[in-house]
Amino acid sequence: MDNRFRRNIVDMVCRGRDGHIPSAFSIVDIISILYRDILKVDSKKPSWDERDYFILSKGHGCLALYVVLKEHGFITDHDIENFCKKGGILGEHPDSTKVPGVEACTGSLGHGFPFAVGIALGLRIQNKDNRVFVVMGDGECHEGTVWEAAHVSSNMELGNLCVTVDWNGSAAQLCPKDDLPAKWRAFGWNVQVIDGHCEQEIKSAIADVQFSKRGAPHVIIAKTIKGKGVGILEGHGIWHHRIPNAEEYKAIMEALT
Amino acid sequence: MSTKKMRQQFADTMLEVGLIDPKLSVLIGDISHFILQPFAKACPGRFYNVGICEPLIISMAAGMAKTGLHPVVHTIAPFLLERSFEQIKLDFCYQGMSGNIITVGSAFDYSNLGCTHHCYDDFALMKSLPRTQVIYPASPVEFDTLFRETYRNDHVTLFRLPEHQHEQVIDPSLITLGKGIRMAEGCDVSIIAAGPQLKNAVLASQLLKAQGKSVDIIYIPTIHPLDAEMIHQSVAKTKRVIVVEEHNVFGGVGDDVRKIVADISSVKIINLGINGFIRGYGTYEQLCESIGLSVEGILGAVGKILL
Repeated sequence: MDNRFRRNIVDMVCRGRDGHIPSAFSIVDIISILYRDILKVDSKKPSWDERDYFILSKGHGCLALYVVLKEHGFITDHDIENFCKKGGILGEHPDSTKVPGVEACTGSLGHGFPFAVGIALGLRIQNKDNRVFVVMGDGECHEGTVWEAAHVSSNMELGNLCVTVDWNGSAAQLCPKDDLPAKWRAFGWNVQVIDGHCEQEIKSAIADVQFSKRGAPHVIIAKTIKGKGVGILEGHGIWHHRIPNAEEYKAIMEALT
Repeated sequence: MSTKKMRQQFADTMLEVGLIDPKLSVLIGDISHFILQPFAKACPGRFYNVGICEPLIISMAAGMAKTGLHPVVHTIAPFLLERSFEQIKLDFCYQGMSGNIITVGSAFDYSNLGCTHHCYDDFALMKSLPRTQVIYPASPVEFDTLFRETYRNDHVTLFRLPEHQHEQVIDPSLITLGKGIRMAEGCDVSIIAAGPQLKNAVLASQLLKAQGKSVDIIYIPTIHPLDAEMIHQSVAKTKRVIVVEEHNVFGGVGDDVRKIVADISSVKIINLGINGFIRGYGTYEQLCESIGLSVEGILGAVGKILL
């Protein structure tokens, strides 16, 4: 669990006076490992032809992506400091037209994953070996387009596609019959279930994925905790879209020390 | 004048362009499957009958454009335009992706299928988005020419393929994106005709000629961008204009013409189009007549505007 990224996220929210802290804490471990150990990307050439594509389909978790993009040199301290500021390139949802390394404008749930399916198909049509990674929310799985995309990519055998579902329990608040692994299996995907905050399990699950131009697509159902790492933020309460006051900021930073 | 159906021309053009350009790829929503088989066979791996899931098809096509392909998506208008509008807006237009949306079943071409299969706000929807083009070819040569001209440019282009054609001979050299075609010269009234309604405009003008009235007919294969120069020039001369279109009068060609001629004094405008939902059944021709999209409707409008 990387507290440094979490502290950076809280600082961005307090400075920018906006943002979704718990949604970012839920996925920051997954995204940081993807960029550090898995993805073939180059911050000096964000549009490099041979790159892996990473799509954050749950766009409201973008703070996790921003701090990792900064870590790997895609964006700068200046960009981070100007989160949600006039003239800045970073907003509350990632914008591919502004941010180097962001492949899709997401935020309206149920768009990023279908867009990624098109990328995966487009790469296969052109006989390219690039891989496509998606991180999406379990609440996002309420969207019909998610299951259209799951159904079609399985039938098209897009084996170059790996989705991670951030299974933090958001969906189950409304629809308690929430057996996500069974649903994805029923749609013909290779399914793994892991602890989405355990580095070893994340790395091992991705290492087990056999990417191919034609084969069943892969989904990693990552059990996570919304707000993971700070007691007062964890769970599904008031913190979904809230800015800490001075006292709360101090308590959160102490918990992340 | 060709007797070929628009959908057959679509299939033929895909085959011919697909053989030349390996980046042309076609996604369909379970219509035109058989007619596109020559393309599918000649261009293996570039044809997908994705299924009945239009929003996904639009997002996928945008993703394919991201990898450098020139996608074509095709199915029935209301599902591809109205249901999938947010996908067109965000995944294509905002992100700067380019591609081609080719519909059938626009307006009330599926006359007996009722409201669920009608779509007469497609011009308005597409025009409201940046980076779009709207092409309404009502003869095969227009589709073939305008598709080849535009399919890989930096826009999202809607091709509205009508079931019915205008049955007029069009000089291919005059078919260019954004340009109107003057079908008749006159000085008493301008008629701006879109799609198959050109046929009624021409028939009406012949009857009017016998009455000693001359009509300036401008046919507009490109709805957006509209040929403002030709329209302005015509209306500056006649001061009277009738717009005939199988589209909602809100957000259609008529509204654009009003803006184009706003600086000309004492202009009279009548917009023959669709006002509210079309309810009930019947043939295409019967539905046209019921809302004044007919020779009689145009003659009535001319009589009113020349009062």
